[in-house]
Amino acid sequence: MLEALVAIAGALLQAAGMLAVAPLLKTGIKKMKARLQNRQGPPLTQGYYDLAKLLRKEVIRSETASWVYVAGPRVYFSAAVAATTLVPVLVAAAPLEASGGILLLAGTFTLGRFALAAAALDTGSPFGGMGASRDMTIAALSEPALMLGLFTSALAAGSMNLGVLARNVLQQGPSFHPSDMLAFAGLFIIVIAETGRIPVDNPATHLELTMIHEAMVLEYAGPDLALVEWASALKELLYITLLVDLFVPTGIATSASPLAILGALAAWTGKVVLFAIAVTLAESTNAKLRLFRVPELVSVSLALAFLALAIRFL
Amino acid sequence: MIVALVQAALPAALVIRLLAITATLALTRRPKACRFVSLGGSILASALTLTVAVHVISAGRTVDGVLVGHAASGITFGYVINPLSAWFLMVLGLIAIPVAVFSTAYFAHAVSGPRTSTVGAAFNLLLGALETVFAADGVIVFLFAWELMTLATVMLVAVGHEDLASRRAAFIYLVMSHVGTGCLIAGFLALSAASGSLSFAVLLSGHVVSGPMRHGLFALFFLGFGVKAGVIPLHGWLPEAHPAAPTSVSALMSAVLITAGVYGLLKVCAFGLGVPDVHWALLFMGAGTLSAILGVLYALTQNDIKRLLAYSTIEHSGIILLGLGTGMVFLAQDRAELAALAVTASLAHVLNHALFKALLFLGAGSVVTATGTRQLEQYGGLLRVMPWTGLCFLVGAMAISGLPLLNGFVSEWLMFQALLLGFGSTTGLMRLNFPLGGAMLALTTALAAACFVRAFGIGFLALPRSRAASEARESPASMLAPQAFLAAMCVACGLFPGVLVGALGRVTASLPGLRPRPDMVRSAMGIASVPESFDALVPVVLGTAMVLALALAWRVTNTDRAVRRVPTWGCGGELTARTEYTATAFSKPLMLIFRAVYRPTRKVEALADVSPYFPQEVRYRTSIEPTFERYIYGPLVRGVLHVADGMKVLQAGSLHTYLAYVLVLAVLLLMWLGGAR
Repeated sequence: MLEALVAIAGALLQAAGMLAVAPLLKTGIKKMKARLQNRQGPPLTQGYYDLAKLLRKEVIRSETASWVYVAGPRVYFSAAVAATTLVPVLVAAAPLEASGGILLLAGTFTLGRFALAAAALDTGSPFGGMGASRDMTIAALSEPALMLGLFTSALAAGSMNLGVLARNVLQQGPSFHPSDMLAFAGLFIIVIAETGRIPVDNPATHLELTMIHEAMVLEYAGPDLALVEWASALKELLYITLLVDLFVPTGIATSASPLAILGALAAWTGKVVLFAIAVTLAESTNAKLRLFRVPELVSVSLALAFLALAIRFL
Repeated sequence: MIVALVQAALPAALVIRLLAITATLALTRRPKACRFVSLGGSILASALTLTVAVHVISAGRTVDGVLVGHAASGITFGYVINPLSAWFLMVLGLIAIPVAVFSTAYFAHAVSGPRTSTVGAAFNLLLGALETVFAADGVIVFLFAWELMTLATVMLVAVGHEDLASRRAAFIYLVMSHVGTGCLIAGFLALSAASGSLSFAVLLSGHVVSGPMRHGLFALFFLGFGVKAGVIPLHGWLPEAHPAAPTSVSALMSAVLITAGVYGLLKVCAFGLGVPDVHWALLFMGAGTLSAILGVLYALTQNDIKRLLAYSTIEHSGIILLGLGTGMVFLAQDRAELAALAVTASLAHVLNHALFKALLFLGAGSVVTATGTRQLEQYGGLLRVMPWTGLCFLVGAMAISGLPLLNGFVSEWLMFQALLLGFGSTTGLMRLNFPLGGAMLALTTALAAACFVRAFGIGFLALPRSRAASEARESPASMLAPQAFLAAMCVACGLFPGVLVGALGRVTASLPGLRPRPDMVRSAMGIASVPESFDALVPVVLGTAMVLALALAWRVTNTDRAVRRVPTWGCGGELTARTEYTATAFSKPLMLIFRAVYRPTRKVEALADVSPYFPQEVRYRTSIEPTFERYIYGPLVRGVLHVADGMKVLQAGSLHTYLAYVLVLAVLLLMWLGGAR
């Protein structure tokens, strides 16, 4: 009983914390990108201002849209929030890890994407359809690579449970086994693809024909858009945390002592910042790929994941 | 008392079906009475079957009895419902009842008056034959029912026989089924010759044949049952026959008829020929993966909603086979607990696929009735005029895409667990099959999500793309209630997978070589996998988290401000249905990425009066290459025709020649007999 209460409290705290931090990550990357381009960039709090502004705005929706259009951002948002309870962040156990592991996490993201893609088709605007089509295409291609990459870690730990996975890596200490490096590289590509970053998608573009995720949510405004933006930021933070858990869980708390958790908070922040720098560098040094070159990138990731598996287990 | 009642249930169901058929045929002139008699009888009989099936599964005890007995000759034909057949009978009952309820209103629209009696009779005949197939205790009853099942389906496919496509579909189905049945007859004859019995209990005990003979028989049965299961490349009939039949019948075909093939593969190939060979298992996995990937890829490009669903059936047949193949690898290695997990995944998917596919077909039936067309590009905006059908279709589309909280996710989750454990428990290069299978399963699921976002989004959302779509009306309650029931079942099985897996534990425990772990079930709400507890699944927890998050989303966005409705931005022009994204365009990126599979052809014609720079009209035509039809079925048919052409020499048409043949044959036979003595 007490355990369940602790889990629920942990889940609520973690969801709230991740929701609070997520906009910071997005602005942080924007800021670093601006600095690399010799621009000043927005202040770090800009993400919060944007959300507050959007949430205060008028609710404006298309005449042609049905309830699916309203449900889309809400389901997308709640799927991302629910996903936070499945990932270990500061303590080496996800708050609700009894409910399922990696597969459920991936499924939850797919649920959000499905809702948003269906909603994008609802306004009748061709851009929504185009965005939905491209988003589902890229998701379909990256799914096998994602699964194969996750399998490599799961098989090494003998579990699909993220808490067990993180504890396993922690126990073995930092490893520079080629298999880990390859699996990491493969998954990093997938994280780039799934979070809509250059070279797969450009989050800053306003050229309709090259947009993917942005085209999908082009019609949204006000509070509806705020939910989408917030959930996207949360999703990116979750993916980065997932990489941290799978490959460098160093510093994560293994007990619930306040000191360990404080230390874990510092370690996690540091690692997320490092990953954010990596994402920024990838964004700043690459050009966006043509849509039909994306499959090549994703197959590189698939090949890397497969090699990782082969090296480790054959 | 109860035993006697239970024993009487299946024969009673069959008798009810026979009575319904007779009454239906007698009432030919009164279509309305026909519908009520045939479908009412069918519902009653299916309910009886469902009851006995649930009884067998929950008690875990086999029920058997006699169907027909002839005292003078001492021949009796019996039936036996063991937990495995009970599982399939339960699927049949769960699907057949809503389909029959749906059909009462649907047939009135879709089937012309004078044909109602034929359709009603064939409907009962098909279900009765399927029940007998699942419950047969011996070869004779099985093959008899199998053939009846084929013929009843042909009757239903050929209902609209004025249409060439319909006749063609029925013919292709008939020919392919008979080739399959031929394989089965040969296989069963060989088995009974070796064992001297016609009863399944002896034939499929697993000790009848050995050595190369066993492999040969496996191949025969794989071909025979594979045709029914729609395994690529034996799937040719499936995408033709499904669109031709009335839609509620297509639902039955996809959900139940296909599972008859799976039942055969399971009963004979996996458990009937002794411990499966590893190569058989790999063949299952390979064929399953191929069917899954190609099925969903073809489904993605279909614009005919029924063909789309038919191809998706091939996909799911493939997924079921992949699970079964994984189970067979474990059986070959004598890993009883893992084999039980994989077979559980496979059987759970049989039920789950039946539920969501029947739901989607019924939804398609409603839509086709309301709009009069099967073309996805002619729909659009249907959610506005058909809100309940749309909601049910959405649930089905989400379930088939393997999204959590719905039933499709449960069986795919189980399958992933089985594949991962397979990797852990095998050695050598062969183990790579498992992660590859897992990656392909992931690709299939993600493509299915794209396919059904497209089917739902293009069909039900945005602006109507034709007059028929804007004038469509919601279906009557008798057509909606079955869909609501199936949608509720999809949600229930997704939220309480423990019930499903618990029931399957009793089914797998009855199969040779399987030993399900009792700790697989973690209360009604969740499952844990065997044996090292790779992962657990408790969907209710995630569902609760999602509901709370949904409440939060509502809280932060919901204010008292009024919603302002404005037109969608039409890119500077007027936004009409013609500027919407089409189904063809939606799947275009995937079609180009997988062009090696599709080999698409594209033709753009600009019709211009004055100058080619000012075209009056642009015609665009795109198509994908029917690879299997062109490169496998085509040459095969040509080859058979060529051989038949050569045999014409024998069929000279002259009576004298034929008499000479008889004489020569008689002499040869006598010589052979004399030599033998």
